[in-house]
Amino acid sequence: MWIPIQINENSAEPLYYQIETQLRSLIVSGQIQEGTLLPSIREFASSLKCSVITVRRVYQDLENEGLLLTKQGTGTFVARVGQSERSEYRRMVVQEAVEAAVDVGLSVQYSKEELEALVLEIIQVKYRSVTREGNRDE
Amino acid sequence: MNETLALELKNVVKKRQRRVVGPVNLQIPQGYIVALVGSNGSGKSTILHMLTQSLIPDEGEIKWFGREGSDDLPLDIKSKIAYVPENTAMEENYQTAEQAASFRAYWYPSWDQKRFERLMTRFDVPRNERLNRMSKGERRKFEVAAALAANPKLLVLDELSSGLDPFAWKDMIEELQECMTGEDVTMIMATHIVEEIKRLADYIVLVHKGKVLGMAEKDLLYGSCYEVWVRGDFAGLKDRPELIRCEENEASIHKLLVRDEAFISELQQFKDLQVMRSRALELEEVLELWIEGYQPNC
Repeated sequence: MWIPIQINENSAEPLYYQIETQLRSLIVSGQIQEGTLLPSIREFASSLKCSVITVRRVYQDLENEGLLLTKQGTGTFVARVGQSERSEYRRMVVQEAVEAAVDVGLSVQYSKEELEALVLEIIQVKYRSVTREGNRDE
Repeated sequence: MNETLALELKNVVKKRQRRVVGPVNLQIPQGYIVALVGSNGSGKSTILHMLTQSLIPDEGEIKWFGREGSDDLPLDIKSKIAYVPENTAMEENYQTAEQAASFRAYWYPSWDQKRFERLMTRFDVPRNERLNRMSKGERRKFEVAAALAANPKLLVLDELSSGLDPFAWKDMIEELQECMTGEDVTMIMATHIVEEIKRLADYIVLVHKGKVLGMAEKDLLYGSCYEVWVRGDFAGLKDRPELIRCEENEASIHKLLVRDEAFISELQQFKDLQVMRSRALELEEVLELWIEGYQPNC
């Protein structure tokens, strides 16, 4: 199974953190489904060009969070993600993105009213195009 | 982690004509790929020779899979080790690949002829050519195929890729990764190729002028040092231990090499200073600094 994770070697974020965040988001958002067998530690490390130590750490962390299950001798699987965890997670990523946008606004002294107007305008435009495409209902 | 050691070196010393290698102290856990990195003549090959007993250390002791091999290694241990030396042995020169393989099959009880055939086909090595008539790259490919066919628990590779074309190199990397999926195979390789380190290594051992400077987890080296460009008055920060180097580029613009990421956020908050941009150093840059004495914090 190929897992779409992209590493940035020049980022200040440690490799394990980059992989963990991306893998978590793939699982919680449902892009990798429950029961999926993940690659072996060495395979995954090879494809990401990182060490097995890093991948093992990611698997262990996500297992502790209940997102992964390791069955002795068979491998590591994606566990069941509850509905509440999923909506909690969706809220969290969107909130982070909005906060970052507001921070940019603050840093260039954008006024509250301007920002609100702009956000509404963008929502109008984006959601209109999504409805037109018709296949994204969320 | 319940780590068993594949290799343990204690105060190992070898006196060579030009340089003394050691004392080397190393512990290599089983199941990992360890890259020996260092400039030419730093002693990497000497260390590998000692790990395969093609050289016997003058001092110190080496343990293979927990067993000491002061004189000659017992056969059951030897047959778990496969070695691809930098310069191939003369003994097999007048044999064809097939003949050499059947000789090796005799000494390695775990020899897998099917795997050997598959690798020879994949690497496209002529089977009935005498080994000394092969091109350097073909000979290399034979050596790796034969090493992998022996199903070793310890694989020792000296300059794996010398003489290989980029396509053969890629095949070889894939085969090596595949042979590691068993999780009980340990690989130690001397290399100059950064891409090889990136794709294979879990740990890096840095060797410089006969000394082992340390062993580090590869992934922790990424992001261990940064290059930061700053504008403004920098004088107040010159004595900070996180600062490795500082070059003035133009008036009031400095290029800094720093060791700790937290230091960058500190710089960003420093009021007379503007951080223009920063980037994490590449693996080879980190290793270069390490050779110069700036050991990464990890």
